[in-house]
Amino acid sequence: MVACNQNKTLPILGEKSPIDSTYATVPPFVLVNQDGDTITEAFVKGKIYVADFFFTSCPTICPIMKKEMLRVYQQIKGDPAFVLLSHTIDPEFDSIPLLKEYASRLGSDGKQWQFLTGNREQIYELAEKGYYATAMPDSTEPGGYVHSGGFILVDPKSRVRGVYNGTDAKEVDQLIEDLFILKSEKP
Amino acid sequence: MRLLMCISCILFLYACSDAELSSMQQIHTGAKLYELHCSNCHQADGSGLAMLIPPLKQSDYLLKHAKNLPCMIRHGMQGEIQVNGKTYNQKMPANDKLNEQDVLAICLYVLQKFPENPVSLHSDSLIKSIQNCPSNSH
Repeated sequence: MVACNQNKTLPILGEKSPIDSTYATVPPFVLVNQDGDTITEAFVKGKIYVADFFFTSCPTICPIMKKEMLRVYQQIKGDPAFVLLSHTIDPEFDSIPLLKEYASRLGSDGKQWQFLTGNREQIYELAEKGYYATAMPDSTEPGGYVHSGGFILVDPKSRVRGVYNGTDAKEVDQLIEDLFILKSEKP
Repeated sequence: MRLLMCISCILFLYACSDAELSSMQQIHTGAKLYELHCSNCHQADGSGLAMLIPPLKQSDYLLKHAKNLPCMIRHGMQGEIQVNGKTYNQKMPANDKLNEQDVLAICLYVLQKFPENPVSLHSDSLIKSIQNCPSNSH
């Protein structure tokens, strides 16, 4: 089992550019975290990270996603190679103080696991075009994947390397495994 | 072997009174409804979520407020509560689409499954409690 994983490489998702055949990358962003600090793509430069989309008052899939993301967090905590970005899709309700309380009650240190907010359109655009459309090019339903509960794995070059169902413990086990496969990948 | 199993099943069913059998069926229904309406937040094993969503499993709050459980399920909750020495303050949504029998089944399941020693409350008293929920508990 371990021997197999050592040889496993993760695919690079998204279309190659027809001009210079480079892979699609997550576009630059400007968001604000639970402490009111500005977080841009510079924060995740050179890091492996997992992105997800949620809202604090969501009673359906979000608590399960957060329970699963907490499991991911426990595996990567203290390892500077990894970062987690949870984005609220209800920025009007999820104020910065609310995100701060949510993050700390969940057990986040507020550094390695960031809770991000910003302009609603910007977050939806980032979710749909930046993350989910790259991860799942067949998705035609607008907004459909924003609520899908997907965890998106991004490599240090901002390329999407996998999407996992954040409500399914087995897929999240796979994500945890893949995080470390990505870490051992040569740059 | 199969015959033997069938016979023992039938004997087992006959050993139960009608009331016990009906309560077992309700708990079974309650388990399915719990999965559908409650487990997203409180989790299938009743462990809750960190300091955000309180546990039901071995919860002192649940034991203390067992009689109010139908109203909590039906009308939701808000404000601070203490569960096993920790403070929680996340709004629980109302479930006003559940009918009385559904709420009853969930209560029977939760009270049987999650306390250290199962709590048995009479169905009639739970139904009465649903009918007499304070209207301002939304």
